[in-house]
Amino acid sequence: MGMVDSPNERRGSKRSARQRKRLGFKLDMTPMVDVAFLLLTFFMLTTTFAKSNTMEINIPPETGEVAVAELNVMTLRVPGDGFAYWSLGEAAPRRVPLYDSADAHASLGSELRQVLRQETGKNRKMVIVVRISDKAKYKALVDIIDEFNLMKIDRFSLDEFTPEDEAATQRAVAMR
Amino acid sequence: MSKIKAKRVGFRLDMTPMVDVAFLLLTFFMLTTKFRPPEAVTIDLPSSHSNMKLPESDVLTVTVAKDNSLYMGVSSQRTRERLFDTVVRPKLENAGLSKAAVADSLRKFRFDDSFKIEKEELARYIMMSRLADQRLRPVIRADNKADYEAVNYVIKVYKKMNLLNFNLVTVLEREVR
Repeated sequence: MGMVDSPNERRGSKRSARQRKRLGFKLDMTPMVDVAFLLLTFFMLTTTFAKSNTMEINIPPETGEVAVAELNVMTLRVPGDGFAYWSLGEAAPRRVPLYDSADAHASLGSELRQVLRQETGKNRKMVIVVRISDKAKYKALVDIIDEFNLMKIDRFSLDEFTPEDEAATQRAVAMR
Repeated sequence: MSKIKAKRVGFRLDMTPMVDVAFLLLTFFMLTTKFRPPEAVTIDLPSSHSNMKLPESDVLTVTVAKDNSLYMGVSSQRTRERLFDTVVRPKLENAGLSKAAVADSLRKFRFDDSFKIEKEELARYIMMSRLADQRLRPVIRADNKADYEAVNYVIKVYKKMNLLNFNLVTVLEREVR
């Protein structure tokens, strides 16, 4: 046990003769051990190696066009007004809300999800072209790609949002 | 068999070695634990269902903050040093900083997770870091509310450099579908 040598000092008074010299008294270390192990386990359990999750994206090189039949193309346009516009081939775009709630971590709207599931289910060769406007938020990109990953849709590509796309979405609004 | 054992009532156990080990481990953990350095900007990452893990080494991160400002960082200190020598040092010397000041900046730069960067400089910095380390993996770490324009700019820069396979940092979404 923890033996501690007491300093053997003589105070030179009469009392010291009566007082027994305390040579090597025993010290109970249990509470100290308790505290030590408590701290130790706390540090061991709370130490985490921070690693973030990631989502992988492959983008096609600038050269090399892949020709796809028009009826197998679905265009999904996100102009940043809170709606998504989808169209098959050259058909007029149809408008669905991008999100159901205004929550910062909300998933895509259920209507849009249903459209994606339906259209990819109908046509196994469907290629989805995603065009996101510069005015939209980055969140839309992550949510859309995440949705594709969940639905096991691996045939999609990111494309530039052009003024023509803008015009097409405007027309879709005007038609309503 | 025939021996009758004396009952050992309340024996004392020498705890000293255990205490030694406990404190050794404790001090080790306390001294080696590094708290995360405060980030230059807080990023509210978007959530996804992907649980791929980000690799720990050879990562080139471009961070897009909420206000669309860009930050860049490389994971290894050696690459940071090289990047400093090729890009930052000439800049500081041209600005007329003394040798001691440059050395001081290098010391700070080495421990900096990311540093602010101007849009126009991004391509050059990425090129220099790739020259310093061939194996760098490009990663985009953008805020949920960052404009797509800024992110798209980074993607275009990557595309120009023929980095066609990159990662987007997200947090795991618990919602199961």
